[in-house]
Amino acid sequence: MDEHPAHESVHASPGRRVATSVGLVVLIASAVVGSNLFGVRDSLFGSATPEPADVAASRVASKGASTATTAPTRTRLRSQPWWQQVTTLEGAGPTTAAPFTIDDGALQWRVKWTCQTGHLLVSAQGPHPVVDGVCPGGKEGFGNKTGPVRVKVTADGPWKLQVEQQVDVPLMEPPFPEMTAPGAAVLSKGSFYKIDQNATGTALVYRLADGSHVLRLEDFFVSPNSELEVRLSALKAPKSTEEYAAAPSELVTRLDVTTGALNFRIPAGVDPTRFGSVVIWCQLVHSAYGAATLGPAQ
Amino acid sequence: MSAAPAVSPPIAGPRLRIGGRSIPLVLPKLGDPRLKLSATIITLTILGQTILNFQVSLPQILVCVLLCAAIDVVMTYRSAKVLVWPASGIQTGISVAFIFRVGGTRHGDFWSMRGLHIFVLVVLLSMVPKYVLRRNGRHVFNPSNVGLAWGLLLIGPSHVFSEHLWWKPLGPAVLFSMAVIFGGGWWVLRQVKMLPMAATFLAAFFVFIAALAVTGHTYWATWHEGKVGGSFYWLTIAMSPELLIFVFFMISDPQTSPKSQMGRNIYAAVTAAVAAGLIGLQNTEFGIKVAILSSLLVSCALVPLFDKAVRRVEDRRAGAEVEPWLSGPVGRQLAIAVRKPVVVAITVIAVAGFINTALLAGNDQIPLIERNLTGRSVQ
Repeated sequence: MDEHPAHESVHASPGRRVATSVGLVVLIASAVVGSNLFGVRDSLFGSATPEPADVAASRVASKGASTATTAPTRTRLRSQPWWQQVTTLEGAGPTTAAPFTIDDGALQWRVKWTCQTGHLLVSAQGPHPVVDGVCPGGKEGFGNKTGPVRVKVTADGPWKLQVEQQVDVPLMEPPFPEMTAPGAAVLSKGSFYKIDQNATGTALVYRLADGSHVLRLEDFFVSPNSELEVRLSALKAPKSTEEYAAAPSELVTRLDVTTGALNFRIPAGVDPTRFGSVVIWCQLVHSAYGAATLGPAQ
Repeated sequence: MSAAPAVSPPIAGPRLRIGGRSIPLVLPKLGDPRLKLSATIITLTILGQTILNFQVSLPQILVCVLLCAAIDVVMTYRSAKVLVWPASGIQTGISVAFIFRVGGTRHGDFWSMRGLHIFVLVVLLSMVPKYVLRRNGRHVFNPSNVGLAWGLLLIGPSHVFSEHLWWKPLGPAVLFSMAVIFGGGWWVLRQVKMLPMAATFLAAFFVFIAALAVTGHTYWATWHEGKVGGSFYWLTIAMSPELLIFVFFMISDPQTSPKSQMGRNIYAAVTAAVAAGLIGLQNTEFGIKVAILSSLLVSCALVPLFDKAVRRVEDRRAGAEVEPWLSGPVGRQLAIAVRKPVVVAITVIAVAGFINTALLAGNDQIPLIERNLTGRSVQ
C-alpha cells in the first residue's frame, strides 16, 4: 500500500482493492478494540479485574430481602470468597419457610443444619435436595440458585437451618460503636507493606473504655488465599517469612475477608503493646504475606 | 531504527546457489549503524536476563528476532531477488523483545513459551506496516514502535505490558546499564547525525516532565509502594532507561524522521510535546509507557508537514517562491487524500493511537493492576 496518486488506487487490480479494503477494515476494527469502548477489548480477551460490584457493609446480609450488598460503594476489587450470614430458620416438623434472597453476585450458598429426631429433607426448587440427613445430626448442604429462594422442609422433629451465602466483594465494616465512644482511643497504627505477597492498607489498634482492644484494618488488601491469619509479632518490621517465623507471635484472628475495612477483637490476655507489628500469615503455605509496623498514633 | 530494504543486486560478491540458481548475497558491513544498535540492545538484553530481572524468556526473544528476520529476508528477496542480511528485521525483533512483556512471565523462566502467539502478533504489527504503509519508498512508522504501541493498546493492560520505566533501585546494575545506553546512543547517533535531534527531544521532554512533576502529577507502578511523585516522578520518567532507548534508538530512525536537521529538531520537539501531553493525562506506569510510544505514531505521521515547513522556511530565506501548504482547496485536497488507502491507514493509526492512549487515563482497572490489587500477578 505504497502512497501513490489517487488514480492508482482507483485503478488497482480487483484483488489488490479487496486486500486493501480488508486491511483497512481490520485496522479500524483493531483501533476500536484498542479503545476498549463498551468493554469490547475486555469481552474479547478477558480482564484482570471483574465488573464493578457493590461492597458488603456487614457480615450479615441486610434484613428483609437479604441482599449481600447494602453499601453504596461500587468497586472492581475482590476478596477471597467469604461466607455472609443470610438468615436462620427454625421449626418443628414439615413446613415451607418464608423466602430469603441470595444476592445475584453470590458464588453459592449453604445451609448449616441441625435436627433432633427422624429424618430431615430440605428442597429448594431444584432437582436435588439441599439437605438429606439423618437426625440427630448436623452438617452442611449447598445450593447455587440466586435471587428469591423458598425452601421446603420435611422433618420429623425440631430443626434449625443457618443460611449463608458466599461472596467475593470487599467487606467495609464501620468501626464498632465502642471504638468511637468516650474513653476509646487509637493506641498504635501502621501501614502494611508486602513480604511474600502484596499487602496494603492501615492497621489501627484501639483501646476501648473497658480496657479491651480491637484491631481495625482500613483500605486493606492482601493477596487472597485460604487459611490466612492476622497475628501480632514481637518484631518491629519483619522482612521475610524466616525472620517472622523465628520470633514470637500471637494469633488475633483467622482472616476470611482479604479486602476492605475490618474489625477484630484482640483476645483477652493478648497485650498489643508488647508487640511491634501486625503480620498476615498464611498457614497453608507457611508464608508471611505482609506486615504493618505499629507505631504511636498521631 | 531500521532501514528500507532498497537494495540493488551486487554485480560482484558472494553468491548462494539454490536449485541451480545463483542468488546474490548482501552481508552486513561493520560500519552499519544498525549493527552497532543491535550490539547495544543485545548487551542490554543480556544484562536484563542476568542482573536486571527482565521478565522475558529466550523463546520469546528468539521468536521475535527470527520471525522479523525471516519476514525481512523474504520481502527483500521478493522485491530485489537478493538475499540480504536482515539487519533491520533483527533490529526490530530485538527491540520488540526488549520492551514487550506478556503478563505472568517471570524472570528466570528462561525457557517459558508463555504468550508466544502474542509476540508473533506484535511482530506482525511491526512488520506489516513496514512493508505495506510506505511513503516515497520509505516506511512511515518505526516498525518496533508501531508494533509495540498498537500491540499494547490492542491486547490491553490485563495481559501485556512494556518493560518498566525504572528497572531497579539506583545502583551498580542500573548505572552500568545507563552507561551502556548512553555509550551506545552516542556510538550510533553520532554516525547518523542524530545527536542534535536527541538533544532537542531530551531538552524539551525534561522541561515538560518537570512541569508535570511540579504541578503534582503522580503515577502508580507495580515496583513502587504508593504513588510515584515529586522529583522521583521526574527522575523515573525523564531519565528512564526505557525513555532513553526510545530517544536514542526509536525516534532516531533515519527512515521515518525528517530529512533536514531543522525538520528533525521540530519533529523531536513535537514528539516530546505530544508525549508529555499524553503523559500528563495518565496516572499509571502502563499509561505513561504507552503515551511515550504513541507520541511517535503522531509525529511520524506528521513528518511530511515538518519537511514542508522546513522547505517553506528555506524558500523564504532564499527569496524563492514559497511552496503553499496545500496545492488546492482544502475540500479537494481532503477528497484526494481519503481516496488514498495509505493516507487513511496512516491517519487511523496516528489518530486512534493518540485517542486510545488518552482513553487509558480513564481506565479504572489499570491502577488496580499497577497496585497488584487484582489477586493475580499481571506484571
